[in-house]
Amino acid sequence: MSQSSDITHDVLVVGAGLAGTWAAMIASQAGVTDVAILSKLHPLRSHSGAAQGGIAAALNNVRPINPNEKRGDLEPIPPGDDPIDSWELHMKDTIKGSAWLGDQNAIKIMVQDAIDIVYTYEHMGCVFSRTPDGRINQRRFGGHSVPRANFAADWTGHVLLHTVYEQACKQGVKFYSEWYALDLIVEDNVCKGLVAIDITTGELHLMRAKAVMFGTGGYGRAWRITSNATANTGDGVALAYNAGVPLMDMEFVQFHPTGLYRHGILMSEACRGEGGYLVNNSGDRFMEDYAPDRMELAPRDIVSRSEQTEIDEGRGVEADGQGIHLDMRHLGHERILERLPQVREIALKFAGVDIIDHPAPIQPTAHYSMGGIPADVNGQVIRDADGTPVTGFYAAGECACISVHGANRLGTNSLLGASVFGRRAGYAIAEFIQGGAQLQPIQGNPLERNRQRIARFKSDPANGKTESWAAVARELKDTMTTNVGIFRNETRLRKALDDIKRLQEHFGQVRVMDKSARFNTDILGALETKHLLTFSEVIAASALARTESRGAHSRTDHDAPDNGNWLKHTLAHPNDDDGPTLSYKAVDIDWDNHPPEVRKY
Amino acid sequence: MTNVTIRVQRFNPDVDQKPHLDEFQIELTQGKTILDALHEIKEEQDGSVTFRRSCRHAICGSCAMNVNGVNMLVCDAPLKDFVDRRGRVTIRPLPYLPIIKDLVVDRTSFWEQYQRVKPWLLPPDDVPEKEFRMSPDEVKALQDAEHCIMCGACYSACQVVAMSKKYIGPHALLKAFLRVLDPRDSAPGERLTDLDQGDGVFRCHTIFNCIDACPKHLNPTQAIETLRKLVMKRQAFEAARAQRQQSLDQPISVE
Repeated sequence: MSQSSDITHDVLVVGAGLAGTWAAMIASQAGVTDVAILSKLHPLRSHSGAAQGGIAAALNNVRPINPNEKRGDLEPIPPGDDPIDSWELHMKDTIKGSAWLGDQNAIKIMVQDAIDIVYTYEHMGCVFSRTPDGRINQRRFGGHSVPRANFAADWTGHVLLHTVYEQACKQGVKFYSEWYALDLIVEDNVCKGLVAIDITTGELHLMRAKAVMFGTGGYGRAWRITSNATANTGDGVALAYNAGVPLMDMEFVQFHPTGLYRHGILMSEACRGEGGYLVNNSGDRFMEDYAPDRMELAPRDIVSRSEQTEIDEGRGVEADGQGIHLDMRHLGHERILERLPQVREIALKFAGVDIIDHPAPIQPTAHYSMGGIPADVNGQVIRDADGTPVTGFYAAGECACISVHGANRLGTNSLLGASVFGRRAGYAIAEFIQGGAQLQPIQGNPLERNRQRIARFKSDPANGKTESWAAVARELKDTMTTNVGIFRNETRLRKALDDIKRLQEHFGQVRVMDKSARFNTDILGALETKHLLTFSEVIAASALARTESRGAHSRTDHDAPDNGNWLKHTLAHPNDDDGPTLSYKAVDIDWDNHPPEVRKY
Repeated sequence: MTNVTIRVQRFNPDVDQKPHLDEFQIELTQGKTILDALHEIKEEQDGSVTFRRSCRHAICGSCAMNVNGVNMLVCDAPLKDFVDRRGRVTIRPLPYLPIIKDLVVDRTSFWEQYQRVKPWLLPPDDVPEKEFRMSPDEVKALQDAEHCIMCGACYSACQVVAMSKKYIGPHALLKAFLRVLDPRDSAPGERLTDLDQGDGVFRCHTIFNCIDACPKHLNPTQAIETLRKLVMKRQAFEAARAQRQQSLDQPISVE
């Protein structure tokens, strides 16, 4: 059912972080005149802005003073001296970081485009930190064999986000700020638009578009301790799944090694990139036992597991033994103030610790979702192992699984992936529109369906019993933390699935207290909680099926990678009856140049 | 256990004649922030209490509010630091802005002024193959302005804004400063001419409220002062910029 009151656009992007804003800006620059972005927050509140440490690209601006040192000081590479980095080396590091689950064709594109995208950001006005001779400064990061994290102090994501937003404004992209997408409309494998609520007025709108692009971000909010913003409730992945699109590799969720103790707030990996130590309750740098070569700069999955092992074996810090110390005192006052000002402020404000004088208490924190909506290297969403496209539907950034990060993402590759594939999606969308794409008639009555959904939350329950969405969300986070955390096994994962099923039933009784139309965040909380339940089931089911340990997916009952059986992507297809149906998709591997190896650091 | 009374200003313009305060009891525990208290109220006591928030570590700029009469971000504000002598904390929306609902304000004028200063860089026509070269000192001069999170705490604390929404405001002037001072920007002259209008830099009364309100310890007043000086010597500044842009692709000389 289509009406003249429907909102229509050539391109409708959902999510105003780096991926979505790049896509909109590029599509507009490429000549598509009617491009709009919808975001449940003001665009500048997007979580891309919380990224701290850097964006990876082999610019060859700095090198270690002592070439054999994995740590130690860096210096600008003098003009004429040999480069130390290349996209090939960046590719090699990313493949190894991904535990060979990343698609190598996609990784190659990302690391090749990296160099141009960082220079483009610079040309657009991004204020990067500089070497004395005026080049973009670089620091070390975990899993990268050379310093290639290009940074702006420790608020890199913030400056990238503001820069790309400014450019999108300049370009005349239309923004629907504080609008929330409720329902994605895919009929006969064609994406036709969505239903959204204007949060301020509470009004529902049918929004039709020739192409819809999701850059809706991640879903760390399904765990109790997370670095993620309250907005990161996986709305996009849940919407896609509800519309019949499968989700890929959802079992791979990254726990960042340095979330602030009890808060989970990110303490940038740049703390270790600049030379910070991780120590246990005896003051030992325990990474020596787990990754003797790279130490604290091993990839995140390995460092988080090492920390959790120290904690589980009684060597944690703080009263409950659930913390680890991040010690930066030896970096000195000046370097901390210049390079890590935000991190210092966070530790001061939330833990009362000045990192100049004291170690900061930290713990692993749910951080990044490697899995998501399956898409090809142009952001085109696909629906099966053969790569059949969902016409008119694109995705990039954390909500998508392209898959460049495989089983574990390297730090600084997320800002990179969101930017590179957001940009590529923008070009692909422009081509699709200019190739004659049309608005498609919508068969059902999605507007009415969603009005009823919302009315139900405000209605009186049949049996007088109500449940609060906050209580459901809390229970879900408890079970996800306990049972689908850093270490998993069959018993725990089955328990999680049982809990999630029970909570999904409880959700039927959820009612809200706020019955008003205007800016109803109570309704949003309910809708977001439903999304958490939807994708959490997919995560647990995918994790239960994968009887191996690879990257961030670590099974105590299957503690090694099993390349014979499991070097493949999981595709979880929605199935009304009983949870997802799983199928598998081959990984793109260059067997001559980058065959799987033992992953040691 | 100590309890704290949280007083939250409530207002839904669809049904209420005027704002009123609702009181909620919250347990004061170690490490609890004002935002934590608001979440607790919403999730356990009254789901209709409405506020904006997202990142919860002072980088997204969503949760600027007025606590006990002072504008701040509530996400990194420890609850215990704001309990008054009567055991109360009073939370109101940012002042001088229309209220959408409860603690959520309408920032339309704030964003219009942001757009007005053309926040984007206007680079020179010749773009180098690699990066424009900037010295660490040139970057340092921009660091404050670059760090602004556009939370609106300064804007809503400004007495000039309170009188007239036509005034560009401290946030947008800080953004203008970022562009004017950036050696890569080719239009500092045009920008300074615009800032010289009646609602521009000379409208600031130098009351310093913006500095007090800024949760990131930035200094919009000083940026406005600098812009005023540059307005006065606009032509010389433009000439110096044109000169500087001749060598944007050249290494900074290191002593």
